Amino acid sequence: MLLEAVDIAKRFEREEVLAGVNVSLPASGMLSVLGRSGSGKTTLLKILAGLESPDRGKIVLDGEDITHWQPQKRGIVYLYQEPLLFPHLNVFENIAFGLRLRAWAEADIRREVEAMLADLELSDQANKAPHQLSGGQKQRAAFGRALIIRPRVLLLDEPFGALDAETRANMQTLFLRLAEAMQLTAIFVTHDLKEALAMSHRIGLMQSGGLKVYENRRDFLNEAGAGVQQEMNFWLNLFETEAIAPSNPR
Amino acid sequence: MMKTIPEHVRNSWRRRLLAGLLASPLLWLALLSAGRQWPYPALLPLEWTPEHWSRLLTGRSDLAFSLFFSLGLSGGVAVLITALSFGVSRAVAYHRRRRYWLLAAYLPYVFSPVILAACLQYFFLRANLAGAVAGVFVAQVLITMPYGVIFFTNFWNGHIRSLEQLAYTLGSSRWQATLYVLWPAARGTLLTGFFQIFLISWFEYGLTQLIGLGKAPTLTIKVFQYVQEANLFYAALAGTLLALPPVVLLWINKRFVFSRML
Repeated sequence: MLLEAVDIAKRFEREEVLAGVNVSLPASGMLSVLGRSGSGKTTLLKILAGLESPDRGKIVLDGEDITHWQPQKRGIVYLYQEPLLFPHLNVFENIAFGLRLRAWAEADIRREVEAMLADLELSDQANKAPHQLSGGQKQRAAFGRALIIRPRVLLLDEPFGALDAETRANMQTLFLRLAEAMQLTAIFVTHDLKEALAMSHRIGLMQSGGLKVYENRRDFLNEAGAGVQQEMNFWLNLFETEAIAPSNPR
Repeated sequence: MMKTIPEHVRNSWRRRLLAGLLASPLLWLALLSAGRQWPYPALLPLEWTPEHWSRLLTGRSDLAFSLFFSLGLSGGVAVLITALSFGVSRAVAYHRRRRYWLLAAYLPYVFSPVILAACLQYFFLRANLAGAVAGVFVAQVLITMPYGVIFFTNFWNGHIRSLEQLAYTLGSSRWQATLYVLWPAARGTLLTGFFQIFLISWFEYGLTQLIGLGKAPTLTIKVFQYVQEANLFYAALAGTLLALPPVVLLWINKRFVFSRML
């Protein structure tokens, strides 16, 4: 396994948010994590990224215990729901940010960023300021900024939550294409059932401070608490009702 | 047929009228600074002279020294406090007892500066800082530091924290995150904070008078001194000089800061 988190616990004052969570992720593997608001999804990701410290537990990355490592040493990038592009930098410089930190040569930066811009279909937006972009373009630029440094693990915290349905579908397709091309190892947090199923065949369900991981979609679909059956029943009932009694054209 | 005045022309005239009203006290001060002899009930001084200004500009008036002394003192206080309070405000903003720290920061402003100075005077006397320029500097640091902390605390919101954390996960050290992310994001706020701290120091009177014991001749002290001496024309000259930096700072704010923030 590339990433393993064992028995992670976290409490904020009186509230126990995580109570012994275990996660494992193979190299180039993807895990979708579903859960209600406040179920601890974001806290888990922030602990994995080193932005929060766990009260208990251990995180191992590629055989090394990184539990107490600073976030900048881990090579784990955490992407927020908001694209959070740096407002004082244009799209090109936002994407180049991580490479400049690593003191890459100017020519290499230019080559890599231009290739990434082309991959993200943002070549014509390179000189624009973040506030001149649409929501989807911002999120693509944020992906580019994260992916260009080849993170060991990418953590995505509801990255498409603020996008409209069409842009969201496009972004899912784009992300899956990039993930496959770059052999990404990623945890994808969402509260959207369909999105979770679309992004990975491994699905985790967070509830009551714990994380239950289903190794395939069939196991997940059969889980009573996952809400899949309720969702299917809703559409089936709607379909049957409409088939028997077509809606009033008025 | 009556012709209506276009809206943009009316707005332009309104702006000019407002600017004129705001500038009129300053113009009046400047006018008075060149006056000589103003007996009652004359509406304006009976004589005009460039002498006060020429004495100032040729360095023959102690006002020139006061001007540079005030600029140095307030500039120094503003630079130091902007840097210090920006760092301290970050610690306060992310502290779990943030509310209590902020409440403590408001405490110095519960009293008037004169009462605060009277309370602090004992400690300044013990530290041999009373009646010394260093003492005035320390006193102004004490009065502006809490303001700086209160002002900058609002900058450290959830959005800024997320930007900073994102920079860390992208590989920034704390120093790099400060230099390449926080500093550019805070530039406008820092500049505005610097101006405001400068102005608090610039107009400070109570603490400067009581702690400085007349050894720190700032322009504000000079204005009061001339008024007490009934030296009307020099008071106007000192008042004009006192009003100049705020006017310049206001213009810079409008021209370079607000336009970028909007």
